[in-house]
Amino acid sequence: MVVNTHTDQCGDADAGLFENALVMIAVLDKRGKIIAWNHAAETITGYTRDTVIGTTTIWRRLYPDQQYRNSVTGRIMEILSHKKYFENLETTIRTKSGDSRIILWNTKEIVQDGKTHAIAVGMDVTSQREADAFRESIIDNANVLIAVLDSQGYIIIWNRAAESITGYPRNEVIGKRDIWKHLYPDAEYRRTITRRITGIIAEHRYFENLETTIVTKTGEQRIISWNTQQIGFHGAVREIAIGRDITEQRQAEEALVAYMTEMAMRIKQPVGIIRDNIQEVVNLTRAGKITTDEMIMILESQARNATQITVNVQEFQKAIIEKNTQIPDAYREFLNG
Amino acid sequence: MPNLVNPEELEKRQIFLILASPASLRQRNIDVIMQVSALGYHTIVVTTNFPYTVLRKLYGETGVDLASVSFIDTVTRASIGTVTDIPGVVRYINSPSNLTDMGIAVTEELKEKTGKKVCILYDSISTMLIYLTSPNISKFIHFVTNKLRLMDISGVFLAVEKGLDPMLMSQLTTFVDTVIDAG
Repeated sequence: MVVNTHTDQCGDADAGLFENALVMIAVLDKRGKIIAWNHAAETITGYTRDTVIGTTTIWRRLYPDQQYRNSVTGRIMEILSHKKYFENLETTIRTKSGDSRIILWNTKEIVQDGKTHAIAVGMDVTSQREADAFRESIIDNANVLIAVLDSQGYIIIWNRAAESITGYPRNEVIGKRDIWKHLYPDAEYRRTITRRITGIIAEHRYFENLETTIVTKTGEQRIISWNTQQIGFHGAVREIAIGRDITEQRQAEEALVAYMTEMAMRIKQPVGIIRDNIQEVVNLTRAGKITTDEMIMILESQARNATQITVNVQEFQKAIIEKNTQIPDAYREFLNG
Repeated sequence: MPNLVNPEELEKRQIFLILASPASLRQRNIDVIMQVSALGYHTIVVTTNFPYTVLRKLYGETGVDLASVSFIDTVTRASIGTVTDIPGVVRYINSPSNLTDMGIAVTEELKEKTGKKVCILYDSISTMLIYLTSPNISKFIHFVTNKLRLMDISGVFLAVEKGLDPMLMSQLTTFVDTVIDAG
C-alpha cells in the first residue's frame, strides 16, 4: 500500500531506492498525515507502515514525553518560521520496544501534482553518538590534561582534568586562545617557553615530555610534562596537547635528593669525623700528650656522636617512608623498625 | 705554617669559612689560632670535638700565648657532669646542639672582651651537623655572622671539605666574606 503510495508520489524508478534506503524516510502531506513510511523507518522505530500511514499520531509515540515533544516541536516551529526545511536536527525517539534512538533529521518540501509534501529523512546516529560520547567520556575522564587547539590556536577541547589542574573551567577557555597567558603570567618565562616550543616544533612538529611550570587560577604552581601531536581533521590541522601533572612526583624526587644529601652530610661525613677523632686520640695517647681522663672524654664524645648518628638514620628512614607512598609494606616495616 | 687568613681582611673584621680535609681539620684549627694570636687577636674557640684542655695543650706546644685564647667547650660537661666555668678561660655548655646556651656563652664572652681585637673560631660546622639539621645550621650561622658584623668582630668557621651539600654551601658562602680551601 505504501509502496503504491510512494510510487504514486515519486515514480517507479525511485521506488526501490525509497524502500531500500538505509535511512528512515517519511512523507507527510500538508496536514502532517504520513503518506509514506519506508522499510528503514519500520526497522528503526518498530512501527509498521500499517499503523502509521494515514495518521498523525506517530510523533506522539516517538516522543511520548510531552515536555520533550513540546521542545522538539518548538525547535521545528522556530526553524520553519524562517525557512521551509530543516537540516541536521537531532532528536531522540522512543521506539515501539521502548529503546531510545538518536535520529538526525533533514527535511525537504516538494510540490508534486500541485500538492505540497514534506519529506523527512532520519538517519539513525545512535551508534555514532554513543561512540562520540564514549570518546568524549575517555577524554573527559582521563587523568591527564587534554587540550585540543585548532589551526589558529583556539581551544576546542578542554577536559575535566584540565579544569581541575589549572582551575580554569572550560567555559573560560573554549573558543579562546589566551589561556596560556593565564597559565604563564610571567612574560619572560612565557617567551622562553614559547621559544623552546617553537624551536622543537620547527624541527619535529611535536614535542615530548617538555616540562613547564604553570600558575593555576588560585596562584598555585604546578609542574606539567607536555606531549603534543598534530593531527589532520577534515583537512584542517589540530594540535593535541596532553599534560601530565608531575608536581608531586618532582617534589618527591626533590625531597629524596634533599634527604640523600642531608644523610650524606649528617651521616657519612660525621662517621669520617669520628674515625679521625679516634685516630687522633690514638696518636695523642701514643705521644703521651693527653691524660686518661682526657682520652675518656674524647672517646665518650665520639660515642655520643655515634649515638646521635643512629638517631639521625632513624629520622631519615621515617622521613623517606612519609614522603614515598610507593614503598612496599615489608620495606616500610623494616625502615620503621 | 701556611697563612690561612689574610691579615688585612682579618683587620677589616671579615668572616671566613675554612674547608679542610678531615685528617687535617685539627691542624687547621691550630694554624688559625697561631696566626690570629700572632696578629694580636684574642680568639674565642667554640669546640665541638675535643675538650678544651686538650686543645689548650696543643696550642701551648706551638708557643701560642694561652692568655689570648678562651673556650666555649661543648664536650666536657656531657662526659664529666658538673663542671664550673673558669672566667676568662672556659665556659661549658652541655651539647653542640644547645644553640641557646651557645649563643649566650658567646655573647657573654664577647662582652668580657669588649675593646680587644677579637676573633671567634667555630670548630666545626661538620660536627654540629651531627646534632643539627642543615636548615638549623644555616639559620644559626646566619644569626652568628649577623651578630659578628654588628659587633665588628672577625670570625672563622671550620668545616670538612666536600662535607656540605651544595645548598648549604651556597648559603654559607653568602653569609661569609671569604671561603678558603685549606686542603
